[in-house]
Amino acid sequence: MRGEFKLRYKSSLLGYFWTLFKPLMLFGVIYLVFSVFLKNPMQNYAVYLLLGIILWTFFTEATMTGMNSLITKRDLITKIFFPRENLVLAATLSSLITLLLNLIIFAAFFFGSGLHLGWSSLLFLPYLALLFLFTTGLSFILASLYVRFHDLSHIWEVLLQILFWITPIVYDMSFVPDQYRAWLYLNPMTQFISFSRRIFLIDQVPSLKQHAVLLVTSLLVFAVGYYFFKQQEYKVAEMI
Amino acid sequence: MIHQISLENLSKTFLVPHQRRTTLKESFVDFLAAGLWRRPVNEQFFALTDVSLQITAGEFVGIIGPNGSGKSTLLKLLAGIYRPDRGQLQVSGSIAPLLELGIGFQQDLSARDNIFLNAVLLGLPAAKTRKILPDIVEFAEIGHFLDLKIKNYSSGMRQRLAFAIAAFIDADIYLCDEVFAVGDESFQAKCLQVFQNWRAAGKTIILVSHNTGQIASICDRAVLMQGGRIMADGEPQSVVSLYQSAL
Repeated sequence: MRGEFKLRYKSSLLGYFWTLFKPLMLFGVIYLVFSVFLKNPMQNYAVYLLLGIILWTFFTEATMTGMNSLITKRDLITKIFFPRENLVLAATLSSLITLLLNLIIFAAFFFGSGLHLGWSSLLFLPYLALLFLFTTGLSFILASLYVRFHDLSHIWEVLLQILFWITPIVYDMSFVPDQYRAWLYLNPMTQFISFSRRIFLIDQVPSLKQHAVLLVTSLLVFAVGYYFFKQQEYKVAEMI
Repeated sequence: MIHQISLENLSKTFLVPHQRRTTLKESFVDFLAAGLWRRPVNEQFFALTDVSLQITAGEFVGIIGPNGSGKSTLLKLLAGIYRPDRGQLQVSGSIAPLLELGIGFQQDLSARDNIFLNAVLLGLPAAKTRKILPDIVEFAEIGHFLDLKIKNYSSGMRQRLAFAIAAFIDADIYLCDEVFAVGDESFQAKCLQVFQNWRAAGKTIILVSHNTGQIASICDRAVLMQGGRIMADGEPQSVVSLYQSAL
């Protein structure tokens, strides 16, 4: 009930046009550099790239707005009691809606490139659910820490920039030399993006073990994040 | 006698803000300077010390005292915004936390949307708000400006709207912080009437105010706070005169 309202007034402020426009701009410029200038020979590179960018944009947007969600609603938190996790959830949910809208654009690209969906594409739905849990759990942790440490936003911004390049977004995992691959897979975003590409583009299902790792990591991050947040919750009004 | 609100030796302390580390960088520097196991000494501010207070259902209690005496901290503890460090706090019944009017108002939304937004935050579901919407509009005297964005409202109109929503919130306990300074004289009379209605309906009201005259005339009981302690508690007229003689 409350979340619904938060969403409503968030959307009125942001304007979905801009949130849709941003990943497309990023896509356009990266495509120009890597496909036109550097002549990347990969087939269907545009579809690869767009999927990576859309998932990555969700991750950055959700964690940034989730982290800020308590601070920006300071006047509410100090004047009224309500479960504080609603603020973080509203932030990540509104990013999820943007993600779903972005996927419509992706679908247009996908079918426009003459590609067809295989049965394994159905796996994308559980991936989305896990991605949401993982991102929300991380946002819980970031939001509670940000109340204490006001320079966290700068730190997180720098980290996101580094992560952007060590996550297979502009490139495919097959470009990564073997000895680095395992390291890259430590990052759950790598798993989300490269698994999604595999099911959509080559109709290949990752192994059961890989899925188990992704499932456990996502659930764990969500559980730990939520627990940590609830532990800190009552102090937020004093510290903010 | 059953108490609706019961505080036993309630204490609340805050760390003095300028001593608090608010960045990771500062924490890191402190950490290097002080070593791993020594924690920095924080100066504490005792916002409330051993406050005991019993309030029965249907009482209209006014809380007075100088700035920084702990009045608002007490309300925030009752509203569940803060958690006490020590002591017992028991509240039975639903609470309308009117610590500030117009909580959550968004400048870019219409008055209509803001009514729903504010009401939801105060615990009123949208279906109920829809039902009482005409009453709120009439009370606030905003009439055909209902769909105007709230940033185009005058401050008086905004305050009237905020009070009107609060007036239609149904709860057992009303926690009010300085909500009297609203509107012109005729509107203030209406506000006063709202308090009388709540009282007539047997609601418990706790009102923090600097307007001692008003406290003396409308409350059943007054509490004087100073330095985080309760200095006097009793018949409003005498508590107010005690406060005034101490000033």
